[in-house]
Amino acid sequence: MRVQGGHTPPPLSQAAAANMAKKNKAKLLDNEDDGGQEEEEPDFSDPEDFVDDITDEELLGDLLRQKPKETDGVESVIIVDGVPSVGAERLDKLKNVVRKIFKEYGTLINEFYPTNEEGKTKGYIFLEFKDRAAAEEAVRQRNNYKLDKQHTFLCNLFTDFEKYDNIPEEFVAPVPEPYKDLGNMSYYLLDENCFDQFSIIFDGGTTTAIYLNAVPEAIEIAKRERWTETYVRWSPRGTYLATFHGKGIALWGGEEFRQVQKFSHSGVQFIDFSPCEKYIVSFSPHVDQRSEEPQSIIIWDTRSGQKKRAFNAERPPIWPVFKWSSDDRYFARIWEECVSVYETPSFGLLDKKSIKVAGIKDFSWSPTDNILAYWIAEDKDVPAKVSLLSIPSREEVRTKNLFNVADCKMHWQKCGDYLCVKVARYAKAKREKTEVKYSGIYYNFEIFHMREKGIPVDSLEIKGEHTGLCMGTGKQQVRNHQRGSLWSWLGLRSMNGALEFIDTKDFQVMMSTEHFMATDIEWDPTGRYVASCVSWWGHKVDNAYWLWSFQGKILKRQTVDKFCQLLWRPRPPSLLSTQDIKDIKKNMKKYAANFEVQDKMRYSKASREIIEKRQKQMQTFTEYRKKIIEQFERDKEQRLRLRNGQDTDTLTSNENDYEEETVEFLVKKETVLVED
Amino acid sequence: MKPIMLQGHERSITQIKFNREGDLLFSASKDPKPNVWYSINGERLGSYDGHSGTVWCIDVKWDSSLFISGSADQTMRIWDVETGTSNTTLEMKTSVRGVSFSYSGTMIAYTTDKMMGHNSELNIIDVREPNNVDSTPIMKTQVTPTYTKALSVLWGPLDEYVVTGHEDGSIIKWDMRTGKEIQVGQEHSKQIKDMQLSHDGMMLITASKDTTARLWDISNLEAMKMYKTDRPVNSAAISPLVDTYPHVVMGGGQEAMDVTTTSSRIGKFDARFFHLVFEEEFARVKGHFGPINSICFHPNGRGYASGGEDGYVRVHVFDDAYYQFKFDF
Repeated sequence: MRVQGGHTPPPLSQAAAANMAKKNKAKLLDNEDDGGQEEEEPDFSDPEDFVDDITDEELLGDLLRQKPKETDGVESVIIVDGVPSVGAERLDKLKNVVRKIFKEYGTLINEFYPTNEEGKTKGYIFLEFKDRAAAEEAVRQRNNYKLDKQHTFLCNLFTDFEKYDNIPEEFVAPVPEPYKDLGNMSYYLLDENCFDQFSIIFDGGTTTAIYLNAVPEAIEIAKRERWTETYVRWSPRGTYLATFHGKGIALWGGEEFRQVQKFSHSGVQFIDFSPCEKYIVSFSPHVDQRSEEPQSIIIWDTRSGQKKRAFNAERPPIWPVFKWSSDDRYFARIWEECVSVYETPSFGLLDKKSIKVAGIKDFSWSPTDNILAYWIAEDKDVPAKVSLLSIPSREEVRTKNLFNVADCKMHWQKCGDYLCVKVARYAKAKREKTEVKYSGIYYNFEIFHMREKGIPVDSLEIKGEHTGLCMGTGKQQVRNHQRGSLWSWLGLRSMNGALEFIDTKDFQVMMSTEHFMATDIEWDPTGRYVASCVSWWGHKVDNAYWLWSFQGKILKRQTVDKFCQLLWRPRPPSLLSTQDIKDIKKNMKKYAANFEVQDKMRYSKASREIIEKRQKQMQTFTEYRKKIIEQFERDKEQRLRLRNGQDTDTLTSNENDYEEETVEFLVKKETVLVED
Repeated sequence: MKPIMLQGHERSITQIKFNREGDLLFSASKDPKPNVWYSINGERLGSYDGHSGTVWCIDVKWDSSLFISGSADQTMRIWDVETGTSNTTLEMKTSVRGVSFSYSGTMIAYTTDKMMGHNSELNIIDVREPNNVDSTPIMKTQVTPTYTKALSVLWGPLDEYVVTGHEDGSIIKWDMRTGKEIQVGQEHSKQIKDMQLSHDGMMLITASKDTTARLWDISNLEAMKMYKTDRPVNSAAISPLVDTYPHVVMGGGQEAMDVTTTSSRIGKFDARFFHLVFEEEFARVKGHFGPINSICFHPNGRGYASGGEDGYVRVHVFDDAYYQFKFDF
């Protein structure tokens, strides 16, 4: 170790040395410049070899986004082409005309009419509106505006020019979307036993499951938690299952129920499929006020997921708003005393205008042809009218005037051969303020023979009870099976779920039964089964679905916790010809025998399985009991000790100690009148 | 066969019990007077007058000498079965919810309600001297707040442990000497309404508000079977003829406050018979027009009795059909 001398300064670190140097330098500066800064300004400049590896975007991206763009301020400018070319003398007149055309969209701040060397306008003009929204609306409304025969306005936003300017020179072919193989979407029709599927929602809506209605026990195909947020719907041919979510609708299909499509429609509440499943109409009461486009009702292409057209809804909406023609070609709705018929796939108004029908009440499409039937209510001296309209020709093929009409209901026969209008007519009408009260109601059926020349109409008057039955009164729910020969009636809550099966051939009640507190009833698509349900949405206890045969025989009672909804998966219309069906009906006995054998085998297999299971259970239990009884015997001594040596193991083990007791029974009661 | 209706209570039945031989049937209700009846003809022998509130629970000693009752008047009384005189009255801080004689009949286990700041307790007292009972428990355990309150209690087969049924659906086995918990059976999701032993004391059946009843092996609290209904189960019993007729009977129904419609059918107040092994229902007996609160088999297994919210006790004797019915297996 080196011993340091007392006067030697301690060794300084390099930093300290530098500091000292600085101070000295500062002092020097002080000396040079009186009143100058005490400390030297640190050096902020980059060294020469510094490379800036942080982009401005990274550092102040948020500020850069606010950077003014060239287009700012011009987005409220529109360019109108197709304006007449005029000389200076007529310019003022032109300006007045243009102003008049565009003033309804907002104040014009600026207008510019470019001129050529001769002083004539160039045929296009620039207009500046107060804001962007006004400009956009003007473009939307006045594009293709016909000023006169020669001149049609072509309006564009000024900002669009930039957009179109930037189109690359070379054409880049769009990349085809890879084809998504969804598998066989109709696999459910290939079930070899032709069992039908149905969906159920239970657990208060949190779980959704798909079952195959197999014999003897339903088989679970898919089960998912939170599959839907409210309820589900099958498409009319059964290809898709639609689930509802806060953000929109999802469609599921194929063998594994994978998601095949989704439609984003916030707050969607109802949907409606077109008959051929090509389109979906969705409705949402939530409307974003900021957007100008209608959002309440949106029509989508089912397969591509494209939004086809949006509409505004009336309030409150009547669902379904649109009624579709049978082939998906047209859809129509009533709107301000008009029938608006739209055509697909263009989704434009047919012939660009609605069909004006004053006082229209209701309409419906023929199930096979593009014929629209509507009825008009009575108005003072003008009688009520039922009309048939051929679409797209708009030709009125038949009208029928009716008097004293309170209400009309139109029912098409399934093959479109007949239209039956049930007319409720009154004997007296009393006007009370705004309401009209009818009394002495009786019913007429007007039957239109669609396939005959000139469409003759038969009138049928039915009085009294019979119509009451057809209508179903009160809180009744009537479901008739599609093929049309059987009806089931369900008296809902007020009637505690009385259920009747009626053969409509002779109006005979085949079976009167009940499902206590039932809320819903659904026929399966083949008409072999009926499901009656007690939904948790309607009733909080005993939630269950019961399956009945079409004759009203109970097949199964299935209790499901917080069961909500049961829906059968529909089937597309049969491809069999009438002749084929006839043949099948003729040979029914032959086929039926076959199926009965199959069913029997299934049942016996099931009962065999149950018996095997029971045998196993019984065996386990017997073994358990044997062990227990052995233990019980071993404990006997202890038991005797606890009860002072008395054996109480069986009722007869200490019979000797029994005391006899007399108990009186009342054998007979006799009343004898004692005379005085 | 037509059941015998026992009409003697003014309010809904809380518990019924046969004595060991089955000649006597004891019943307690929300009125303060438990009754005793001849089970064979329904004749009332007498009542035990003294309580001033709902009698929640009763039990009878194996030799039919003593009868105990626990009441909402915060007392438990020990009675002489024959004379109907009250030997002893034990004062509690809260109402008594479960009472049970041990196998030997020398001890009583009882549980008390959790009320007014007092905890639910499980206590055991010595009753070898029925006329001079020391009210200080020989074993004392606080059930709450560690567990939820104990509403029913019964003894294991050899006086070694007691089992309590709790408000949250658990059942707990306690060492009778230390008062320590031995085992917890956690299968039910809602309150245990009733517990009963098989005739040999080796199996236990619990009835719960969660709409099921369960069968347990009492030695290891293993849940063996589950009987599912669609209504709260208030009471369940195992047939004494378990090895020839392995049946259980269950009673319950929608609680009066939950029956919102006028129809009584919605309540489902039937007594339901299940196969003990296959867990399948095979018979129902109608009769009560309120939920069944207590149900038990006659010790000879040839009949059963049920007591309902409607205040009636119905004593049934099985028809031949009962013995003829067999499950295929």
